[in-house]
Amino acid sequence: MRVSLNWIKQFAALAAPPQEIADRLTMAGLEIEGIEKVAGDTVIEIEGMGKTDHDMIFEVNVTPNRPDCLSILGIAREVAAAFRLPLKMPRTDVGAGLPASEISVEIIDTDLCNRYAGRQISGVTVGESPQWLKDRLEKCGIRAINNIVDVTNYVLLEFGHPLHAFDADRLAGRKIRVARAGKGTKITTLDGVERDPQEDSLLIWDGKSPVAVAGVMGGQDSAVTETTKNIFLESAYFEPTSIRRTSKQLGLRSESSYRFERGTDIEFLEKALDRAAFLMRETGGGTIHQMVDVYPVKYAPVSTEVAYRRINQLLGTQIEKQEILAILERIGIATEDRGETFVVTPPAYLRDIRHTVDVVEEIARLYGFGNIPARIPRTILSDGNLNQREADQQRIKDAFRKTGFSEAINYSFMNSSDLDLLSVASDDERRKHIAVMNPLRQEDGHMRTTLVPSLIQNFLHNISRGVRDIRFYELSKVFIDEGGQLPAEKLRLAGIFYRDKSPSIWKQDLPGFFGVKGALEAVFEELRIGSLSYTMSAENFLHKGKAADISGPEGKLGYIGELSPTVIERLDLKISKPEIIVFELDLDRILGLMKRGRNYCQIPKYPAIERDMAIVLDEAVSAASVTAYFGEYASAVIESVELFDYYKGKNMPADKKSLAFRVIYRSADRTLTDAEVEPVHQGLVEFILAKTGGALRGV
Amino acid sequence: MDELAALKEAFQSELASVQSLADLQQLRNKYSGKKGVLTAQLKSLSSVSPEQRPAFGKSLNEIKEFVESELKTREISFKDGEQEKRLLAERLDITLPGRSVMFGRSHPISQILEEIKGIFVSMGFGIEEGPEVELDHYNFEALNIPKDHPARDMQDTFYVSNEVVLRTHTSPVQVRVMEKRRPPLRIIVPGKVYRCDSDVTHTPMFHQVEGLMVDTDVSFSDLKGVLELFIHNLFGKNTPVRFRPSYFPFTEPSAEVDIGCIFCSGKGCRICKTTGWLEILGSGMVNPRVFEMAGYDPEEYSGFAFGMGVERITMLKYGIDDLRLFFENDLRFLRQF
Repeated sequence: MRVSLNWIKQFAALAAPPQEIADRLTMAGLEIEGIEKVAGDTVIEIEGMGKTDHDMIFEVNVTPNRPDCLSILGIAREVAAAFRLPLKMPRTDVGAGLPASEISVEIIDTDLCNRYAGRQISGVTVGESPQWLKDRLEKCGIRAINNIVDVTNYVLLEFGHPLHAFDADRLAGRKIRVARAGKGTKITTLDGVERDPQEDSLLIWDGKSPVAVAGVMGGQDSAVTETTKNIFLESAYFEPTSIRRTSKQLGLRSESSYRFERGTDIEFLEKALDRAAFLMRETGGGTIHQMVDVYPVKYAPVSTEVAYRRINQLLGTQIEKQEILAILERIGIATEDRGETFVVTPPAYLRDIRHTVDVVEEIARLYGFGNIPARIPRTILSDGNLNQREADQQRIKDAFRKTGFSEAINYSFMNSSDLDLLSVASDDERRKHIAVMNPLRQEDGHMRTTLVPSLIQNFLHNISRGVRDIRFYELSKVFIDEGGQLPAEKLRLAGIFYRDKSPSIWKQDLPGFFGVKGALEAVFEELRIGSLSYTMSAENFLHKGKAADISGPEGKLGYIGELSPTVIERLDLKISKPEIIVFELDLDRILGLMKRGRNYCQIPKYPAIERDMAIVLDEAVSAASVTAYFGEYASAVIESVELFDYYKGKNMPADKKSLAFRVIYRSADRTLTDAEVEPVHQGLVEFILAKTGGALRGV
Repeated sequence: MDELAALKEAFQSELASVQSLADLQQLRNKYSGKKGVLTAQLKSLSSVSPEQRPAFGKSLNEIKEFVESELKTREISFKDGEQEKRLLAERLDITLPGRSVMFGRSHPISQILEEIKGIFVSMGFGIEEGPEVELDHYNFEALNIPKDHPARDMQDTFYVSNEVVLRTHTSPVQVRVMEKRRPPLRIIVPGKVYRCDSDVTHTPMFHQVEGLMVDTDVSFSDLKGVLELFIHNLFGKNTPVRFRPSYFPFTEPSAEVDIGCIFCSGKGCRICKTTGWLEILGSGMVNPRVFEMAGYDPEEYSGFAFGMGVERITMLKYGIDDLRLFFENDLRFLRQF
């Protein structure tokens, strides 16, 4: 909200420099977000104010709990309390012996309108407002229109109470009725739009039809025009929630609705009415009539009893009784000391002060947050540890970092078309996505069910900017609609890898599938996860021959593989046949496989004997199956078997490959001899050859 | 005897002109070989008079030892020289770069999150988490933000349905934790949150860390103590901190926490909009209505809560001026941290 300092000074004789005023307001809870120097006022005769050189505009951030501060008066009240100055009210003297009102008011729905007051002003001249008035409106960001509209806006800014001016001659039956819209009512508002208010919305009616959407916007048919002679000025109290609903439903926000929905001062509305009537007569002439005031639901102040001890207990202070009471009195809250406790009765503009904490808040902000001592709490030591899940995730991040992968953080959004890109089948779990009703972009219309599309975007972003070595992982939640009220949130760990074939100073093989698999294996090793199996994957978006499902003892945990040529083609890249490896894992289940705790194993005391064997095999026999056969061979002296060479190519039939294994023989209680190992090894070789149908290489 | 002295002199002069191991071997053969000069002298010992013989023998022996020791020394020096030559021939251009072992990087947001978590854990706070797709009840209602309340305007919300939202803050986890556990409570909740807003200073997703402490006698004074300690840990001991009245529906009184601008030391600059202060945290005493909704007796317990935006803190700490950089995942950006 833009507020003129000169205008504030009209209410409180401030001498302090603007920056100090701004600081005091900020520290009292009215944050001044900016100060702007603007031109001064011209002479304002009716306020007895001379010309000023310049003015300061404060940009005030008024929080929703402070509707009392949505005006010059409200800010001035705060300033006066902070600087302990008296508050001077502007002129509202409409005079005595006024003619009676010709317009009657009836409130039908008193639950939505607790009070409705009005004044008729007859014989006005609609025209341009005086310069000082226009200046003030414009400084505060409101465009001047004509003196009648300008005065209602002026009083809205000054007193924070919204007013509405009707052309009295266009009110059928010289009558105002305040009632709900009911079924099928339509009204064309000032902006020329035909509106369709809900049944429950409050409208202002004349004798025949609706003339305004209460508290939100006036109707076109009853609006003040250049030819208007007689005015009916409305000053009412509308129930905040009802105004908010109507304004939201119609998509219509105005300075009026903004204030009504936050709560206006029901007791003060007649002052606003008088102020506006007074200013209209000053600027447009005419005769002010007596006030019509229908006030069926009277404001009843609510008193609250608070213990002095409780205040100091909640704040951690030792503020004296007298000071507590003085602080509250300064902002217009009536207090009564009752020994251990005191009773507060707030004015209508602070009607939200109803609980002990509301009183605590007022005292705290006016006592000054800065004056409350800081203390380190004395409390028992509790569960101050990183929880296990947090610690595990941290270890995973560290492990990935060490394998050369950088962490990506992406928005949790995707679009179902991302799944089409990946040819994800219609019955796949990843299709059970939830939609966002109001996404910012269509591309972000769904919550992610897989992290891969985002990582592909990261790849595209980097490759198009000349980055040639791209290794990302992301650890994030995906959201699967499993039919419950809330989706299942599952932790996923996914990654993408790409390195182009540009030369590097030291020869490094392009790792491709095995590079990434190696990185994953290193991470699993770091996490102490053993016995995962790799089988050919059927994921639609992966290269049929270069992709594996990764499974644990209880089924599939994820996959790793090269993006299929079909997907690559859809990405429309400028590089030919790029080798892009992706992986994605169900992290919740991976974490479940982590081996906790460590047990020391004795380091072997006796020397080992090593024997190598190279086997030529059919391509179809997987390395994993051969390794498994080694495991099947029963011998107490086989310590371990390691696959150390893989060969395919020259001197080898096309459908064959060679695998070489090193077997380590060792006994825990003696030194083995060659003579002892030889028959075991022969047995093992025969067993493996028989199982695999292979032959020893070079024999 | 003169003959022996001449022999020694001759050896010395010949040794001086030796150029290679082969020359050295020749010299060895010439003097101490089987047919060498010294061997010949030894054989002629019998022809020396018996009275001269001991002295002659002694001198001859000395020369022999001298010759052998000189030859040995010279041999070692030749061998060392040849090894050195060989090693130099194998030399590397040690100024070439090493074979690169490229580590990855943690995202700067993760790094700052870790730092924040570490500070609170050291103060005895535990870490909790909660759903990102949340019921309207936990995100708003239970935090004293009823439907049709103007406070709903403070946050632009993504809706999944009328009752389900993308959480706009990490605060709903406060309520979920209070429903499950009894005080004393000291927790922080890091996580992703969502707001329907996107411009230079807003992204539709960002990270928050929420905090909550509840016990029988927790005061505003404790709130100040804990948050000051936190800020001094994160930004340095001498960072000025101020608490400024504000409004959040779920706390009362509420305070924004500002730090003295770290760019201009509080003098006023573009980043702090000339105020000299930077907003860093929202906080306040837990509103009794929130306690009531979570099933705590507000007469028995009091507490404070706080929340901070991790992106903002990261931007301030690293001098990053564009929020969107965090989610572009440009490696040229990420590799700087």
